[in-house]
Amino acid sequence: MNTIIVPALKIEQGPGRALFSFAIKGKEIQSIASISRVKRHEDELVGYQRPEVSNHINEIKRYLESENPMIPNALVIAFNSSVKFVPSDHNKSFGELVIPIIEGDDSKPGLIVDGQQRAAAMREADIDSFQMPVSAFITDDSQEQREQFILVNSTKPLPKGLIYELLPYTETKLASSLQKRRFPARILDELNHRKDSPFYQLIQTATNPSGLVKDNSILKLIEASLNEGALYNYRDAATGTGDIEAMIIVLCNFWGAVSDVFPEAWAKKPKESRLMHGAGMTALGQLMDEIFARYHIDQQKEGVSREQFKQDLEQMKPYCHWTNGTWNFGEDDKVKWNDLQNITKDIQKLTNHLLRKYRMEVWK
Amino acid sequence: MKFFFPDSHDYVDPSFNFETEKNNEHRVIQRDDKYAHELFSKPVYDGILVSKAIVDGVKGVQGRYSVAQRQRFFREGIYRFFRLPKHYLTMGDCGAFSYAKEYEPIYTVDEVNEFYSNSGFTYGISLDHIIFDFETPKKKVTGKQLEECLRRQEITLEKAEEFLIKNKDMSFAPYGVAHGWSPESYADSVIKLQKIGYDRIALGGMIPLKSSEILNVLKCINNIRNTKTQFHLLGVNRLEHIAEFSNYGVTSFDSTSPLMRGLKDDKKNYHTATEDYTAIGVPQVDANNNMRKLVASGSINQNEAFKLEKACLESLIGFEKGVVAKKEVLSALTEYEKLYNSKASRVDLMDKVLTDQPWKKCPCDVCKDIGIHVILKRAAARNRRRGFHNLYVAYEKLQSELNKMNQVK
Repeated sequence: MNTIIVPALKIEQGPGRALFSFAIKGKEIQSIASISRVKRHEDELVGYQRPEVSNHINEIKRYLESENPMIPNALVIAFNSSVKFVPSDHNKSFGELVIPIIEGDDSKPGLIVDGQQRAAAMREADIDSFQMPVSAFITDDSQEQREQFILVNSTKPLPKGLIYELLPYTETKLASSLQKRRFPARILDELNHRKDSPFYQLIQTATNPSGLVKDNSILKLIEASLNEGALYNYRDAATGTGDIEAMIIVLCNFWGAVSDVFPEAWAKKPKESRLMHGAGMTALGQLMDEIFARYHIDQQKEGVSREQFKQDLEQMKPYCHWTNGTWNFGEDDKVKWNDLQNITKDIQKLTNHLLRKYRMEVWK
Repeated sequence: MKFFFPDSHDYVDPSFNFETEKNNEHRVIQRDDKYAHELFSKPVYDGILVSKAIVDGVKGVQGRYSVAQRQRFFREGIYRFFRLPKHYLTMGDCGAFSYAKEYEPIYTVDEVNEFYSNSGFTYGISLDHIIFDFETPKKKVTGKQLEECLRRQEITLEKAEEFLIKNKDMSFAPYGVAHGWSPESYADSVIKLQKIGYDRIALGGMIPLKSSEILNVLKCINNIRNTKTQFHLLGVNRLEHIAEFSNYGVTSFDSTSPLMRGLKDDKKNYHTATEDYTAIGVPQVDANNNMRKLVASGSINQNEAFKLEKACLESLIGFEKGVVAKKEVLSALTEYEKLYNSKASRVDLMDKVLTDQPWKKCPCDVCKDIGIHVILKRAAARNRRRGFHNLYVAYEKLQSELNKMNQVK
């Protein structure tokens, strides 16, 4: 029988509980381990793994094929007792794992307990010598495998906010959902930490818990403007980034003007000011794009000044009720200032209201 | 005779790679995408029709547009937003189907006017309320049913009157809408609309009608219509009757049917001038809902499915290049089909389309660009392009019908 022999480290974690740590070529994984898919076999539950997720696999594959990939966390494989550890003469913790190779579809000595998407990505990826770390244990008991599977897969995901705050300080290829947010997160970071920014230390993040505006509200408005509004003008379609300085200027000019025109509502807790609330931020973000479009005609490349923004915002004052009074959204639709919620319906109403008034009363 | 295409975010990503099945990762939806009028080197419609309900959503339910997209739509107007050359026509309507179940229309005339004006439409259709019933010789509309029809007709006419009065200050040309439940009631609506002052009238609620019923309505209306009255048929696509429609004063119509059949029709989803074909199903194991369920429940083996899916794609691409025989392609397709389709096999239909290879003969830009992929039933990148191809075919048919008419004259 063919075998793979790999140098391995035996780690004893308790009486009779031994882990084996070793590395193996990514492409060889499929000849020593398979996946135990969950299904019912005559009403009995067999296996435990969910289906492969192609999107996820493709993301990992993309990363594996990038310039200098690294995957530090090990696959977890449960071997059956056909796999043997042979300790070296001098030290019982070092030795070799002898793993029988089974080609084709017959049952392999190992089952992947954790890392099936990574394993699949390595199977598909165009890589040659990538070595993958593996943690393995030997058992013939499927219950033990299932327990380990649940244990390694019930960790709590990181809070999104922390990830967003770390994002701007990364350069490597990331999962595309995160990659898309990296540039907006960088803009947010600048807004929050430049002394001349109207948002200086006002945005609530993991390291700035006393901030007033939620990071997500700001990210959303940056993303909307990058795709549909003012910031799009400075975007580089090839890389998904762009002229960040020009973007910061637009944002600072507009939000600076907002703080000038609505001083009573600026830098307050969202409870005291609907302007600092998700709904207010989103709707004003749209108004920024709208005002920008009025001044920024395609041929002329210069931006829009704080004064210009201010002028237009001044005329919007009578229709705004950030800290008291009632929003007048229509004849039968009046909403008390603090009844406005950060939900799609209310955001839409507020946005429609502001932009309609702007178009009718200011732009004309 | 003008053909309008009702849009509901129908665009495709031009950067989609059919070999790797990937989009450009920095693509911005809609802005970096292409509409049918951008994809083809010659027009496949004379104009587009956009509904308020599609852009705005209906009562708390979000429409097809994101908030930011909708605002840009209003800011830029329909021509810039759609990157639509000025020689195309544009028509706005309310999307009455989406609120047909309500007691009354959910918009006011002012809201509708604002929508048409802000968007910069060429034509705007007055606010209407759909009538669902239609009389047949066997089934008369009476009692409560008749009352409801009358009520809805009344609302539609009232709104049309208000709409026309307020149109003086508007930048678009108005259409009144006629609804009815019989040829005579349609004629009543038309008489009243003409009296109000309309010379452009849209005929609504005809989508479910048989062609003969539509012709009966038109015949009846023809007796009372003013010579300068022009009709638009809402949602009707019966190209074989174009000449008759035209004789009865129809000057335009709109329909999504060619596109929708490309996406959804079970059998006839790739059209040509002479014959309709069935697209070849190669569902995505990980994105097709049906496949996903089969995999998640463990009733089919995912690896097996992936393998068969891949084999199908590879053999189809090989077939296109002339290195794989039809027999092999069909055997790969039937192998895979067994996994997801327990009903009757479609192998004969697939054989037929692979034998005829209609996409090779088609001169349209989509077929020239993506070849055999146009005939694969598999996710939006291919299905919507096939829908666009069908639009191309439909528009060509329309043009040749119109040419025939001109020759007769």
